[in-house]
Amino acid sequence: MTLLYACVVLAGLAALLGFYRLLRGPTAADRVVALDLLFAVAVLLGVAAALITGHTAFLDVALGLALVGFVGTLAWARWIDQYAAREEESP
Amino acid sequence: MNNLLGLGLCQLGAILLLIAAWGVVRLPDALSRQHAATKAGTLALFTFILGAGLLMPDPAWIGRLALLLLVLLVTLPLASHALARAALREAKAMKDRSSDDQGVER
Repeated sequence: MTLLYACVVLAGLAALLGFYRLLRGPTAADRVVALDLLFAVAVLLGVAAALITGHTAFLDVALGLALVGFVGTLAWARWIDQYAAREEESP
Repeated sequence: MNNLLGLGLCQLGAILLLIAAWGVVRLPDALSRQHAATKAGTLALFTFILGAGLLMPDPAWIGRLALLLLVLLVTLPLASHALARAALREAKAMKDRSSDDQGVER
């Protein structure tokens, strides 16, 4: 159990590093990469919460977060793609 | 035995995720950051979920964890591919624009 809390602390440190890149990241792609990493941290924390509390509901939360993260990353990536393409056409 | 192995795998997964985050902070450009986040992050999630499955050998848990693993297996490569293409396109556009600006100024 204590080891699981250590996992939560490690994931929290990873989230802090991700937030640093999210706020700092020079290009939009850097920020989306950081967002992807934060969603990975959230999925891991969801599974950890399920293990610690013993409720399977948190696994459904993790599944939902994984799907939302996928759709969000895809949408942002497409937006960056189209924005950059427009920028190339008419500078 | 299973318990110990499961806890070890969970720990390894969390450490791998931290390494992925460290790579996202330290690596020089968007493409290499994306590479660190996706590959190390995927391995971290898989290791952690495998450890969780070993800790809770119960049908309700195994089913949900397997579904989560399947969803991640399908979605993570797709998302990383789209992201890498966007990063490449954006880097190219920014490079073009900065060289254009220099051309205008001189």
